[in-house]
Amino acid sequence: MSEALNTSWFDPGRVNLLVGLAVFVVFLVINISRARGGSEMFIRPLAGLKAVDEAIGRATEMGRPVLYLPGLGDMSEVGTLASIAILSRVARRTAEMGCDLDVPGYDPVASTIMDGAARQAYIEAGRGDAYRPGTVHYISAQQFAYVAAVTGIMLRDRPAANIYMGSFYAESLFLAETGNQTGAIQIAGCDQVTQLPFFVCACDYTLLGEELFAAGAFLGREPVQLATIAAQDWAKALAAAMVVVSLLASVLGHPELGQLLKTR
Amino acid sequence: MALDRRIIFVLIFAATALPLLFPVNLPITPSPRVRAAFETVDKQPPGTYVLMSLDYEPDIKAELQPMSIAVLRHCFRKGLKPVVLTLYPAAPGLVERALAIASAAEGKKRNEDFVFLGYKSGSQSVILGLGESIRTMFPTDFWGTPLNKIPMMKGKNSYADFPLVINLSGSAIADYYIRIAATRYQRPMVLGATAVMATDYYPYLSSGQILGLIGGMKGAAEYEKLMDITGDARRGMDAQSLIHVTIAILVLLGNFALFASGGLRPMGSGGSREGTGR
Amino acid sequence: MRNGPLLVTFAVGASLVAIFFIPHHKVQEAQSVLLDWANVVYAFALILGSLSLWASHQRKVFARAEGWIYSLVTLLALAFVTVAGTVQGVEEGTLVNKYYNMVNSPLASTMFALLAFFIASAAFRAFRARNAEATLLLGTAIVMMIGRVSVGEYLWHGFPPVTEWLLDVPNLAAKRAIALGIGLGAISTALKIILGIDRSYLGRS
Repeated sequence: MSEALNTSWFDPGRVNLLVGLAVFVVFLVINISRARGGSEMFIRPLAGLKAVDEAIGRATEMGRPVLYLPGLGDMSEVGTLASIAILSRVARRTAEMGCDLDVPGYDPVASTIMDGAARQAYIEAGRGDAYRPGTVHYISAQQFAYVAAVTGIMLRDRPAANIYMGSFYAESLFLAETGNQTGAIQIAGCDQVTQLPFFVCACDYTLLGEELFAAGAFLGREPVQLATIAAQDWAKALAAAMVVVSLLASVLGHPELGQLLKTR
Repeated sequence: MALDRRIIFVLIFAATALPLLFPVNLPITPSPRVRAAFETVDKQPPGTYVLMSLDYEPDIKAELQPMSIAVLRHCFRKGLKPVVLTLYPAAPGLVERALAIASAAEGKKRNEDFVFLGYKSGSQSVILGLGESIRTMFPTDFWGTPLNKIPMMKGKNSYADFPLVINLSGSAIADYYIRIAATRYQRPMVLGATAVMATDYYPYLSSGQILGLIGGMKGAAEYEKLMDITGDARRGMDAQSLIHVTIAILVLLGNFALFASGGLRPMGSGGSREGTGR
Repeated sequence: MRNGPLLVTFAVGASLVAIFFIPHHKVQEAQSVLLDWANVVYAFALILGSLSLWASHQRKVFARAEGWIYSLVTLLALAFVTVAGTVQGVEEGTLVNKYYNMVNSPLASTMFALLAFFIASAAFRAFRARNAEATLLLGTAIVMMIGRVSVGEYLWHGFPPVTEWLLDVPNLAAKRAIALGIGLGAISTALKIILGIDRSYLGRS
């Protein structure tokens, strides 16, 4: 239907989303204030992230590179943004340990940005001269062309550690299984729920769901970043509580609360 | 039990090839979701216009091409008028082929019984644009004929003119159609997706945002069964069945061997690798 | 100057969030314009990416590094598609179109088909009853694998309803929970980028 031209300045069907976003921002502000005030932010240990150091150390001892795959998303996908944050931390570690890093890129824009992020990480680690041009290199924006190239890299270069962080799709099992064949230690984090089972089967460590988004902050241990994870957890607790309350209300004959959570 | 990967690969190859060479025709019972999709299309009166977006590339053709052919044939049999488009650059060849097969099987003619608009880049912006003007998005059909010169397209220019939208997709394009066509423009919608992605859309089916869901090659085979046709999906189900049985047997054998060799020991807390089930 | 990119990120990010809540037709048109700009940026980035691809493979060819022949093939293919596409276009019947249909598409389908073999080897290795959770995973996987295909129905008519229940109830519950977490994580990451808390994409900590 060609809608009659809409001239309203607010969509009332989305007020609940606006309220939710405002609450999230309030949680963010509170926790950042707490972090700046010196409160300690506890983050439960994530085995997969603790293993990143172990993986990089292993690669350094073996004299083999670390392969970092940022996923098949472009810069509009949040998984790619999270991956860039993690890459900064991983690049810093590889710079400190003197280990080679290889980052085959899928998206040309993301590859350019990741190159800058990795280079900066090496400079901050005091090893700017050790950054090799071509560390981050664009392969192809075609899914299986990218997979063919990366599996070739795995089988030829035999990286000691494969780190998959970002948005992966049908190629996830392909990559993880090939990596497993080469004996590399594999750590994965993916925001595509459908691909998590494949990574769980084929990788040594898998970050589930929002652990991918917490990974950058966890590895950097900066208080303000950790504060954002705390805000995320508060929001999740609130969402869970609302689900339980609306469910109980529905059962008791008051489905209106559940209707409040619906949106257009 | 360590088994050379290559033996596993040979077994899988045999499990795929043998049923295709020697069909068994195992029974197929349509599931409620596919039946709902079928009935949604089936109850449309003859002459109803259907907007069909077929968005897949060669890599997932095995699941979605048979689905497209079955649904198109259903539309043709019911006398519906599908207007078909695609948002994937590599899809036009596949969609053209699906239309050729379906129209030949049901005796239908291009521009009289169906229109193929071709490919347009932009995904979300195209789906949004279809709500305003199809002609702005697709001034001509796939073969270059202006839409204004196609009798079947007379007076049809936006979602309002299509009582049913069908999207067969292997990607997040389905999410855009649900958000825009089904929710914002309130178009009844049927969805087809790959088997891996289909479970993501169960919540939309239970909320009523989509009226039917065809998942993967099995869903396509069920649709073919309801149509009483034998297409690639039904032929492929024998192979898929044998592959699944082969994998199940291999997994069980592996566990029996592990158990028999005393390899199964209870893991202590904080065991070596978390979250993998290995 | 240092804060320029941060300001741009904030302005564009905050605008897009606001556009989501404002249905005014002029504002929605602005969103379409921004989406078109994103496509234009992507097109230019493809050129950058292709140049980077060319440079990296050219280095290998000149240095006669291991596997330089494959790099040469890559360079020749890149040159062919670029020149043929520029001269003839990419419509039906052109060289690029034929190349895509006869080489690229079958290769992509073949790669995808290899997944069947990889799933088998991954399942054989991963589904071991080492502990209670792994045994539950193993049992569920076997039931699902058999129940979702025709042979399951043939063996026992109860398989399809059981698998449907497994998909509809525990699977969907877990997926929704994970999706909820991912959604909140995505909001958190997006807000960090928009508000300038996370600057890793600028190459800064």
